[in-house]
Amino acid sequence: MAGSGSSEIVHSTAAQYAPWILLLPMLAFPIILYLGKALNGNKMWKDTLKEGGLIALGFMGASLVLSLWLVVDFIGAYGGTEMLSDWTWFTSSMWADGDNAVSTVSFGFGIHIDHITVMLLFIASFLCLLINTFAIGYMNTDPINDNRNHRFYAEFVLFCSGMLGMVLADSFLWLFIFWELMGLCSYLLIGFYYERPSAAYAAKKAFLTTRVGDVFLMVGLAILWDLFGSLDYAVVFDSHNIEAVANNSAGTLAWALGLMFIGAVGKSAQFPLHVWLPDAMEGPTPVSALIHAATMVNAGLYLVARMFPFFGHEAMHGELADLAFIIAAIGGTTAVMAAAIAFVQHDLKKVLAYSTMSQLAYIFTGLGAALYLANTLHWHKYLPDGTTNPEYYVNHGIVIVAFGAALFHLFNHAMAKGMLFMASGAVIHEVHHAHHHLHHHDDDHGHSDPEELVMLAKYLNDNDQTVYEFFKSIDLDGSGDIDMFEFQKALTASQIANLPPWEMTALVKAVDLNGDGRLNLPELDLALGRIISDLDHGHHDEFDAQSMENMGGLASKMPITATAMLVGSLSIMGFPLIGGFWSKEGIIANTWRVALEDPRFFYPALCVLLGAGMTGFYMSRMWLKTFAGSPKGEVAAHVHPTNTWIKIPLFTLTFFSLGGVILASMGFTHWAPDIEYGLMSDHGGFIGGFLYEMEHVFANSKPFFFILTYIAIFIGAIVGPGIALSLYGGALDEGETVKPWFTPVLALNAAVKGRYHWDNSALAGSGFATALSNRLYFDHYYDMAMLKIVAAFSNKAAEADASVIDGTVKTIERTSQDISTKLRALTTGSARDYILMAAVGTLALVGLIWGVVA
Amino acid sequence: MIDPAWVSGLSALLFVIGLAGAFTRKNAIIVLMCIELMLNAANMQFAAAAVHHGDTTGWVYTIFAIAIAASEVAIGLAIFLAMYGQHESITLDDVNVLKN
Repeated sequence: MAGSGSSEIVHSTAAQYAPWILLLPMLAFPIILYLGKALNGNKMWKDTLKEGGLIALGFMGASLVLSLWLVVDFIGAYGGTEMLSDWTWFTSSMWADGDNAVSTVSFGFGIHIDHITVMLLFIASFLCLLINTFAIGYMNTDPINDNRNHRFYAEFVLFCSGMLGMVLADSFLWLFIFWELMGLCSYLLIGFYYERPSAAYAAKKAFLTTRVGDVFLMVGLAILWDLFGSLDYAVVFDSHNIEAVANNSAGTLAWALGLMFIGAVGKSAQFPLHVWLPDAMEGPTPVSALIHAATMVNAGLYLVARMFPFFGHEAMHGELADLAFIIAAIGGTTAVMAAAIAFVQHDLKKVLAYSTMSQLAYIFTGLGAALYLANTLHWHKYLPDGTTNPEYYVNHGIVIVAFGAALFHLFNHAMAKGMLFMASGAVIHEVHHAHHHLHHHDDDHGHSDPEELVMLAKYLNDNDQTVYEFFKSIDLDGSGDIDMFEFQKALTASQIANLPPWEMTALVKAVDLNGDGRLNLPELDLALGRIISDLDHGHHDEFDAQSMENMGGLASKMPITATAMLVGSLSIMGFPLIGGFWSKEGIIANTWRVALEDPRFFYPALCVLLGAGMTGFYMSRMWLKTFAGSPKGEVAAHVHPTNTWIKIPLFTLTFFSLGGVILASMGFTHWAPDIEYGLMSDHGGFIGGFLYEMEHVFANSKPFFFILTYIAIFIGAIVGPGIALSLYGGALDEGETVKPWFTPVLALNAAVKGRYHWDNSALAGSGFATALSNRLYFDHYYDMAMLKIVAAFSNKAAEADASVIDGTVKTIERTSQDISTKLRALTTGSARDYILMAAVGTLALVGLIWGVVA
Repeated sequence: MIDPAWVSGLSALLFVIGLAGAFTRKNAIIVLMCIELMLNAANMQFAAAAVHHGDTTGWVYTIFAIAIAASEVAIGLAIFLAMYGQHESITLDDVNVLKN
């Protein structure tokens, strides 16, 4: 590990302050926790400091400033790798094998900065700040969170510091430590509403599922340690060390990387360890945004991207192609599977969760393709035999662009998904408030119903008894109306309440409409009938503020949120010129490029192409169901725009997603692992870069890629959304005004829906749709496997413990007890007799010894 | 100087008196006293032997034995108190729970 004593190169002042990027949030964690505990309920703490939200915001802001400084410094210096390590954690001495020499190993913490670090550092610190802003608007306005928001903010900053630390760390050991810190924080935050059993279950599930991957990661790291004798990037990525390992044990290295990849699969929720991600929606929405955009799931991608030097090394040429294929294939599978499940989700956040899974799968496929290219092409300046590589320029460009596309998609997806989650949070928040607002009026009657009447209504409902039958059964004298005494007897008989007369008077008064002091059938029917119908028509508590079935037509009511959601959806869909388009095209093109060389890759290549269309469908479906058409239900009609804290991040990120074309022109599509491909250096500045990208994408000189681009655009931006447009949404209600940019979308929607609308109920009712809404039964089979294998094994183990281990001990104990019981029967129980026996015995012994000796 | 045989004889006599008392008496306290008598008979033999051989080891043993005997008495008396609490008597014939 980077220890003291090794020679460090410190390039810039910014790098020297880099440790503070992760230390600041880590410092904020105890501060917020302590102050929150000490000042809980204090008015100033609650209103001015937002229960710690503003403290967190300050620390995250400072952290962002430092990271921006570092990013600007890095881009200004045109790449390269910087190292900084000045803190030794501990030094440990070990016996070396064979001889008697003692070798010392220092474990320390250092900072490693290269292009991958910088990309993720910006994503993490920028989004964490925005999500923090959002959280102040979201968490602090919900009374359910009162007096416990400090717990949220404390865990939030710890989560951020985990991600920032993982990105900055200079060794796989520290990467793993921060990786686990994030695992812990995800557990705490998903289970923020721990009083809800589903949240507690989801938290456990997320923790345990990622733990399965983590075990493999740990084994992989142990093998890596065995191969290199260190986990420090400076050692394992050293060209000579890789060469030495590649010559002796290339296969073992492939295994180590494969096991580490399983860890990434768990963390990034890829098939088959994807089951935790949708359940993680149980956490508050800012947590979903944090996990899905800024931190957690990017960790797995980061780990795979980190492995690039192994794949790219000449000495490993062709050795890791199978692993690259596995990465791409898992990505392709997940991309299609998650997109298909997203088709049938009704929960707004669940659609986004599956979308995350699917888009991460895209990035994995892109990384798989890039790693394959890096591993099979000769893309270095010199060939292994030392001669100059004639294909250097072409191959180098191919590898860099493929890797850059995957990283750029990571960036675009993080920005868009962060925005989508915050926008969905805003929608849910406002729908919830609108419902609460309406519900309040209902509450007022609700409370006027005496408890006994509600219980009586429930009793009748449960026993399937009509009010008429009930009335007949209690009208003892058959007079057609009942008096207080009869009513009281009926309540007692149905075991509801045995009320004293004065309370009965009040109860009768509540039902008695004509005021004659007696109850007749219509009066009772009216009072009970209303309560029963309330019970039947879903009680208000069961209202689901996240279901898209309760939304619709919100475009006119929440313009900023709707805009953010639209731009985010278009970016995820890969709509031309907007954010995700550039990177998604790159991933599709590069996967097909590999497929032309290696037929195995046709599988992931077809998957990502198909997935593009599916993404177009489910993202459009989500937007249209939420924002277009007429409001479904009373609640959606009463939604109001959201508050400023929530609007700021939405506004900022909208521009980041729209600005994809600017970033692409700046050369982000080949965000390079080496200095030669710096930003804006290749194609003549910004304008040149823009022209190059446009030409490269829309007028590719190779016919295959030219056609592929237009197929991808056609599927992803026309077919997928077209089907959604014909099925969902529609024009808004009369009299609703919208922002001008929604008009064409809504007009198109109305036109397509009016003309091509078709009935999809047969499809929606099919067995496949049912399987999809049951998440393809993965959870079911995992549970079954747990019950059948793990639980059965545990039962057998418990049995063995009882019969073999405990059994042996118990047999010894029982036998000795039996013997002693038999011996006891021979004795008198008197102490004197025992002493006598002891004395006689001793005397006999002495005599015996005397006799022998003498 | 007394002949060591006399001292040994005396201590053997004391020991036998203590042993006989411990066998025959019923009162637990008297039995305890008899046990102390036996211990002190042994102590006396130790001390005499130490003088005879001019070796301090015997004295050290004696001191240890006295200290241990003191604690033994404390425990013994505590046992009798507990016994009285349970059986309302300290007669040894009444206590035969070890049987069966």
